[in-house]
This record gives sequence, C-alpha cells and structure tokens, in this order.
Amino acid sequence: MWKWIQAFASPQNFYRISGTLIPWFLYPFVLLVTIGLYWGLYVAPIDYQQGDSYRIIFIHVPAAWMSMLVYLIMAISAGIGLIWQIKLANVVAKVSAPIGAGFTFLALVTGSIWGKPMWGTWWVWDARLTSELILLFLYLAYMSLNNAFDNPKKAAKASSILALVGIINLPIIHYSVKWWNTLHQGASISSMDKIAAPAIHPDMLWPLLIMVVAFQLMYAALVLQRGRDEILFNEQNMRWVKDLIKGGER
Amino acid sequence: MMIAEYFSFLPFGKYAFYVWSSYIIFFVTVFWLFYRTKKIHERIFNQLRIKYDREDNK
Repeated sequence: MWKWIQAFASPQNFYRISGTLIPWFLYPFVLLVTIGLYWGLYVAPIDYQQGDSYRIIFIHVPAAWMSMLVYLIMAISAGIGLIWQIKLANVVAKVSAPIGAGFTFLALVTGSIWGKPMWGTWWVWDARLTSELILLFLYLAYMSLNNAFDNPKKAAKASSILALVGIINLPIIHYSVKWWNTLHQGASISSMDKIAAPAIHPDMLWPLLIMVVAFQLMYAALVLQRGRDEILFNEQNMRWVKDLIKGGER
Repeated sequence: MMIAEYFSFLPFGKYAFYVWSSYIIFFVTVFWLFYRTKKIHERIFNQLRIKYDREDNK
C-alpha cells in the first residue's frame, strides 16, 4: 500500500493515473446530478411546513458539507506538504482551495436565499452562518497568500500554516448549532445519533445523499484535472513534460 | 414578497423565485468551476508550448 502511495505521489505517475481516473469521476457526476435534481425537484413530495422552499437543501446541504470536507482535505494535504515535503500534497492543497471556496460560496448564498422566506431575513449573525462565512474568508486568505510569493516553496509554507491554523474553524461550524442558541436548525442526518434514524423522510433523504455523492465526484474530477495542470507547470523543466507538450498529448 | 408573487407562474408557486434562483446560482457556480479548470489547462499548455518552441529555436 505504502509503495503504491509512493508511486502515485510521483508527479509523472500522478499525471498519468489521474488522466485515466477523471472520466470515472466526471461521467458518474453528470449521471448522479441529473438523477438527484430530477428526484429532488420533481419526485420528492412537498414539505408540510416549508412547502417547496425546502428543495433548496438538495444543493445547500451538499455544498455546506463539501465546504468543510474540502477544507479538511486541503489542511491535511498542506500539513503533509509542510512536514514531509511531498510536492503532490502541496499541489492538492493549492488546487482544492478555489473549489472549496466555490462550495462555501454556494452554501452561503443558497442558505441566504432559503432564509428569506423561512426566517424573514437574508442574513443573521448566527454562529453557524458566521463560522461558515469565516471559512470562505479562510479559503480566500489561503489563495491570496499562495499567490503572494514569487518563491513557490515559501508560498506553500506560509499558506500551509494558515490552512492548519484555520482547521479550528471546522468543529466550530459543525458544533455551532449545539454550543450556541442559533437560528440555524440542528443536524438532521449528519450527527452520530441521527445516522441510524434520520429526521428526514427517505423520499427526501435519497436525492440529498445522491447529490452529496455527485458533489464529491465533481470535486474529485476537478481536483485531479487542476492537479495535473499544476504539476505540468511545476515540472516544466523536466524532460517528460516537454515530450508530452511537444507531442501534443493532453 | 412581491418578487416571489411575480415568479409564482413557475413550478413551486410562491417559492419559485427562491428555488429557481438557488438552482441558477448552483449551475453558474458549477459551470464557472469547470470553465476555469478548462481555461487554466489551455493557458498552461499554450504557455509551455511557446516556451519549448523558443528554447528549440535558439
């Protein structure tokens, strides 16, 4: 296993293997997002309290979960890059940031749109909303810091430290609805006691879970493609990159 | 509430504006993430091709 990881972590092998893997993530993403949207928008019944407005959760919840998952992956990769100096880990961290920022933006905006008819306001300085907004700022700060240095090693080091410090925000986001009296509702399926008996009907739960998997596949496809390009740029002085570009291979 | 009523001809009634605007933002964000990925890919390929051509012609 360790040998396989080491082999995969070599930039050239990563480039080759990830090129094969991308379609395996991309096409199932398209299929699942189509099924999830059809099920969520047309098959799932109307909620007896929230009416049709609850249909926003089929994008809001997966986006919010992914915003935290991507940050976790980014911070762990940044930590591995910082401690063991593995180039590929820094690449994964760097390319994950804009994708994670996209998910966070989506979670915040769709949450705000859902909040207007349900809470009567677009925004409140509630602990869950505020900590999620801080997550967006952390992503933006990471990207800014990574681009602020001419030396890639210094950029990776500085931004990795920021990513690791920012990880403290993840438990705050997750437990904010328990630790503070928030307007945002508590967990319906993501807490341990709710996994066995979710407080959501299966007709609504299944499209939600399908969308969660679709978002994960989308992230995998995007991070692999962006990682491939980042590797080409970083390894531009290597013979294999030149042969690949000159050969016109994509 | 006026905006919501204006969009009530769409499926999802008085919530049509909120539901559809959320899904439009979702599609725009997903499109943007894929579009940016494609653009970065093209930029790096072109940049490196020019660099190698210049090196070979020296």
